[in-house]
Amino acid sequence: MKTKLTILCFLFFFQFVNAQQDYKVTGRVVEKGTNLPLPGVNVLIKGSKAGTSTDQSGNFSITLNKEQEVLSFSFLGFTSQEVVAKAGSTVNIILGDVTNSLDEVVVVAYGTSKKRDITGAVSQINADQLQNRQVSNITKALQGLAPGIQAVSSSGQPGTSATLRIRGVGSINASAAPLYVVDGNPFSGDLSSINSSDIESVSILKDAASSALYGSRGANGVIIITTKAGKRNDQTEITANFSQGVSKRAVKDYEQVTTDEYFQNYWLAVKNKQKASNPTYTDLQAGQAASEQIITDLGINPYGSKYPLPVGPDGKLVAGATPLWDDNWGDAMEQTAIRTQADLSFSGGNEKSQYFISGGYLNDKGIALGSGYKRYSARVNLTTKAKKWLTAGLNISAANTLQDYPISEDSNTGNVVNYSRLVPSFYPVYERNPDGSYKTDANGNRVYDFGAYRPSSAIPRSNLAATVDLDKSEILKDNVSARTFLEATIIPELKFKTTYSADFANVNNHNYTNPVLGDGAETKGSVSKSNSRTYSWTWNNILTYEKTFNEDHHLNLLAGQEIYKYNYRIISGSRERFVLPGLYEPDAASQLNDFGGSALDYTLLSFLGRAEYDYKKKYLLSASLRTDGSSRFAPATRWGTFWSLGASWKLSEEDFLKDNSWLSTLTLRTSYGAQGNDNIGTYYAYEGLYTIQNNLGENGLVTSRLPTPDLKWETNLNFNLGLDFGILNDRISGTVEYFDRRSRDLLFSRPKAPSTGFGSIDANIGALKNTGIEVQINATPIRTADFRWNISLNATHYKNEITALPQEDIKTTTKIMRKGGSVYDFFLKEWAGVDPETGNPLWYKQDANGNKVTTNIYADAIQYVQDSALPDLTGGISNTFSYKEFELSALFAYSIGGKILDNDYLSLMHNGSSTGRTWSKEILNHWTPENKYTNVPRLTTDNLGWTQASTRFLYSATYARLKNLTLGYSLPKTLASKWGLNNLKLTLTGENLFTFYGHDGMDPEQTVDGTTYYRYPAMRTFSAGLSLTF
Amino acid sequence: MKIKQITYIIGISALPFLGCKKELTTTPTTSVPESLIYGTADNIETVLNGTWSYMNDTYFTYANPGYSSILRTSDVMGDDIAIITNKYGYRDAYEYTLANNQTRLGAFWTILYRVINNTNNIISKIDASTGTAEKKAQIKGQAYALRANSYLNLVTYYQFNYQVNPQAKAVPVYTEPTGPTTEGKSKSTVEQVYQLIISDLTEAEKLLPVYQRPGTTKYKINIDVVNGLLARTYLNMGKWDLAAQHALEAKKNYPYMSEADYSNGFNDLKNSEWIWGHGQQPDQSTASYSFHFLDTSSPSAYYYSFMADPNFQKLFDSHDIRTKLFLWDGLPSREGYLRYQKFKFRADQTGDIVFMRASEMTLIAAEGYARNSDLPKAVEQLNSLRAARKADPFTLGSQTKDQVIAEILIERRKELWGEGFALSDILRTQTAVVRNPALGTDGKPLQVTVITPDGSSKVVSAKQHTTLKFPDGSAFKPNSSYYLFSVPQTELNNNPNINK
Repeated sequence: MKTKLTILCFLFFFQFVNAQQDYKVTGRVVEKGTNLPLPGVNVLIKGSKAGTSTDQSGNFSITLNKEQEVLSFSFLGFTSQEVVAKAGSTVNIILGDVTNSLDEVVVVAYGTSKKRDITGAVSQINADQLQNRQVSNITKALQGLAPGIQAVSSSGQPGTSATLRIRGVGSINASAAPLYVVDGNPFSGDLSSINSSDIESVSILKDAASSALYGSRGANGVIIITTKAGKRNDQTEITANFSQGVSKRAVKDYEQVTTDEYFQNYWLAVKNKQKASNPTYTDLQAGQAASEQIITDLGINPYGSKYPLPVGPDGKLVAGATPLWDDNWGDAMEQTAIRTQADLSFSGGNEKSQYFISGGYLNDKGIALGSGYKRYSARVNLTTKAKKWLTAGLNISAANTLQDYPISEDSNTGNVVNYSRLVPSFYPVYERNPDGSYKTDANGNRVYDFGAYRPSSAIPRSNLAATVDLDKSEILKDNVSARTFLEATIIPELKFKTTYSADFANVNNHNYTNPVLGDGAETKGSVSKSNSRTYSWTWNNILTYEKTFNEDHHLNLLAGQEIYKYNYRIISGSRERFVLPGLYEPDAASQLNDFGGSALDYTLLSFLGRAEYDYKKKYLLSASLRTDGSSRFAPATRWGTFWSLGASWKLSEEDFLKDNSWLSTLTLRTSYGAQGNDNIGTYYAYEGLYTIQNNLGENGLVTSRLPTPDLKWETNLNFNLGLDFGILNDRISGTVEYFDRRSRDLLFSRPKAPSTGFGSIDANIGALKNTGIEVQINATPIRTADFRWNISLNATHYKNEITALPQEDIKTTTKIMRKGGSVYDFFLKEWAGVDPETGNPLWYKQDANGNKVTTNIYADAIQYVQDSALPDLTGGISNTFSYKEFELSALFAYSIGGKILDNDYLSLMHNGSSTGRTWSKEILNHWTPENKYTNVPRLTTDNLGWTQASTRFLYSATYARLKNLTLGYSLPKTLASKWGLNNLKLTLTGENLFTFYGHDGMDPEQTVDGTTYYRYPAMRTFSAGLSLTF
Repeated sequence: MKIKQITYIIGISALPFLGCKKELTTTPTTSVPESLIYGTADNIETVLNGTWSYMNDTYFTYANPGYSSILRTSDVMGDDIAIITNKYGYRDAYEYTLANNQTRLGAFWTILYRVINNTNNIISKIDASTGTAEKKAQIKGQAYALRANSYLNLVTYYQFNYQVNPQAKAVPVYTEPTGPTTEGKSKSTVEQVYQLIISDLTEAEKLLPVYQRPGTTKYKINIDVVNGLLARTYLNMGKWDLAAQHALEAKKNYPYMSEADYSNGFNDLKNSEWIWGHGQQPDQSTASYSFHFLDTSSPSAYYYSFMADPNFQKLFDSHDIRTKLFLWDGLPSREGYLRYQKFKFRADQTGDIVFMRASEMTLIAAEGYARNSDLPKAVEQLNSLRAARKADPFTLGSQTKDQVIAEILIERRKELWGEGFALSDILRTQTAVVRNPALGTDGKPLQVTVITPDGSSKVVSAKQHTTLKFPDGSAFKPNSSYYLFSVPQTELNNNPNINK
């Protein structure tokens, strides 16, 4: 070994001293497949700044510094190549297209594979598709990028995750979420702790053949996140990224009426009520009474003392009356949301060791007052060949995140997102004098108006704009994840790999209500703190054997064992009554309210195996088998066995297609297999359990769960048929896949009659099916030396169907599950419009003969099955245009079909009964004897009940969103190298720039099941970024 | 060399897997397997405690904080509470549209039946456990009484009174523990449910005489509570002498509270005349959430929606200490509401919940006597309470039996306002709800003077009842189905036998 090193040093020295001579190299660069010359290809001598480019015929000539050097060839849109060139030689280069996704190496279960060599259904999203995304959680970047995956960002609060569903909804009561795998092993940490700049690729395993090796928990698909690694190029590459942006709401909130409109319409509501209660009143008398009543009802006169009765008895504003203020609570509840991200990474390596080291900082302020997200992250990925036969690796990442998370998803009046939908703009944010001027305190500062005079519907004694910043709602997380392995090559064909991975998360929640202003003022404030710790680890041992027999027969075998353990423990406590303001910790509060703690354990033990065989890479077969024992189930039923079979046939390699001039790739794939799901929501799913419920200092227990000794794994039987094609030398390539997922032994909360003392019992009953088709097409319609247009589009259609239920149907308040329907079919009373004669709301009911007739009594109306919340078609379109150093990329995500029940809208749609509550603009279209044919009933202060759940508020969920638009400019290589840089790129990015949606005011991204819950809307972020590599 | 090293690596790596099978058995920390519970009487007592805690301190929504929400619903469906209808909470019940509120209907049904199933477990398994006979008797007796209380609530609110039609179908009856295969049952008749209640309470009566509870644990059922429940049951059934007899038995150890105590907020188990109630403390305060509705005077009360009907005030004479609880509200946004400041949070934002008081027993005894035509004894009982409240005594003179009964029923409204008896009395006495507009002496809507926070006085319209008719526009009448609680939709959907 020592001698070798000496020789190496000597050689190096020798070369150095000979560097003075003139060494010329010439050559030609052509395009792969077509053999057309490629003009303008950059040719650089590696490690120096010297370079040239090819001429119109693709020829080049360059002078080396020494006899032998490495030349690097790069061209926009093509895979770069490096070759060793000797002086005096001719170098002919064939450059291939980067978009040839079929040659891409994709990450699969327990390893990697070329995309064209797999039998399963896998989509991969690469770093370049993620690098410009202004998201703080990787799951939010996935929508629209790959077929078969539905990503729904129900909350826009920075740091929150999107809900992901792969190929439909596969479970009813058990979790339908995919399994996340980071760097090879299941991940139980916080997804938002992963810096998306560290991610090399996100692989989505969709069928049995690809995910059955994660069989135990792969029933709803697997998402594999792989982080970056160093390259074996003897160089250290330093990358620095910085971006700064500002966020706004992606869609405007529901439009509200103006103060003038509010007062006149509320006057009408009161007048109508006056006339109804006092039949003897004339119009004028009722109008007069209303003019007086509205001021006492609303508790404020924004028109000032000059106009004590701003609305006249005729219902019109008195001449000259104008509101003295118009305080938009929407603005008061929003903040300037600056987003800053900075990342620095070092990567490099040699044949023996590779490394990637990175650090990141993110500060993503939310648009809602008091919300925000900060993350500090660091990562070290190392691999080293310790011995010729032994490789060791360690990936370790740490992140500290601080999320300011005021209530932003609740009907609670403290919800920062919903508050402006409760308090109209004629209630001032700061206290006002009757003339409209601000009241000030002794120091001349404005004083927040807590509106004790406001009627109940406008939340008296509250001012969230004042209290949000005084209160606290912090989630502080520390995450550490490690992936470490040792791989031994026993004989060249046989390898043994042992991997230990661990995810640690410590979550500290701190909620504080201030003792000075708002809700806590009467009780002197309160505080609750909790600390939870999650530690999970996976240890696996895998043997692989790979050999090619007689050149054509290739065999790959894998066998192993794995254990996964999960432990969660939490303590929490709360106190109230603070001695002084400005103290936030429980010690400062005098009254102990609560203290508690608990722990959870979960273990999985697994044995797995896989065999892959191919003949001339033309016929590929794969089979896998895995058995898992889960601690969730009874000893007798806890083992489940999962398997898969896959086959692939490369038709384009066959003689009858080989010489076809336009068809470059044609592969047929199919797979079938079974995957499991044990995530029933409880960790102890076999014994009859009694919940601990202590009573006033004495121990207490109460029934909570019926015994289910026979409960076992849910299985998903998954069939996939796929076709990969490439046309014109793969300039157009794509994949079409058909899938049929059927659940068996569905983990189901079977409803019981509540009079038995239990609402449900867990059982393996019912069946569910998701069938669908997904398409992905990549194409390069234009490709010249300077200009290039890539387009990639994907679409997924699936049908979710319940095929068996233990009873005819299972109804919840607004949904129904029944055989033949989907899991999220709405079941609502049908809106029959407004009665043109009376202005009353109407719904449908069934008369004695079974005919559908209208009724104005909501209770008599009956519920009918409506459309599903699930969309018919989802997908995305991305376009990338490159012109010289400029690049413009746009990603559209769309979802067509499905319904959303908008309950958020209801609070703005009262018919005059919620005195002082905001009104939507749509209310102006209310029924009057003159406006008989409308969809909004008459105004009165009685509650007509028209906002009760019905199809009136069921809206189409179809939308499209420009998720990302990025304009980038890279400094020309020659200029960059003058400055000692490899690359310098400037970007302008917009996230969620445009939303196309039919129901104004609502953010179309709600939940998979189509319900709203006063959630934080999506943010539109504009950012400018700078990326340097040197 | 290499092979040896690799063997080590494989060997060490495989080691942890050998002992792993055992690891697959884990234990929960927030619950206990059934198999560990029923061996000893001491353990079984924890089920009784837990059931009680569950019954009283489980949120279904903030407007349904456990068993107390049944009582609050009964309150607002009567004559004397005119709730602020734009406040969260009990509006649907007040307007008799409770049938639409599946969450609340589900909560009531679930609370009562889950208690039944837990007590069924205790009753059927206690005999086989180890423990002293005394302990077992106590637990079993308490379980019988608690089960009877659930069934008494069910039979009271889900069907008309016993005296209307004993053979009417009421609710399903379960007396055995539910297992995985237990099916929903069909409804039993009113008579059958009462038979079970009487039999349970009679068992409890036999088992509990020895049991002594500390005065601070009035949430534990003792013989007095059993007598009180028997008194209520017999009053419902029209067995007047038995009702009176058990009522007197129940209250004998509980002297009337003092005038001072009457204005202390009805939040303390230790009150001398409380027989049964539920205790609250800062770490167990779900039931206290009821005070956010009941309490109209504490600044920390969030909804303060249980306002009094102005006509209710007219039922009192001016000497009555209870009149001191009235106050016309002068705070912004609540001007003109009539507070009856009977319920108040304690300083720590909790409040014990009252279930049974000596006064109620007095009034049961009085009513029992009166309906049995023993008018002097009835008046004696009535006046003992009136004296305690410093109200003018009732003079029998030549008043008829019906007049005496009417007077007792008015006294019940005055004394038991906000304690959960409004609807059950309307159903029991087969009368109609009475809600009238509040008018001034001039016959116009009542105007009242309120004191605003800055000390100035102001004349405003009195806030009053807003629902004076049933939702269908018809007038209030006796035995209307609007008074009955509906069986929740989840039961109808998942119990194919319910209406068989």
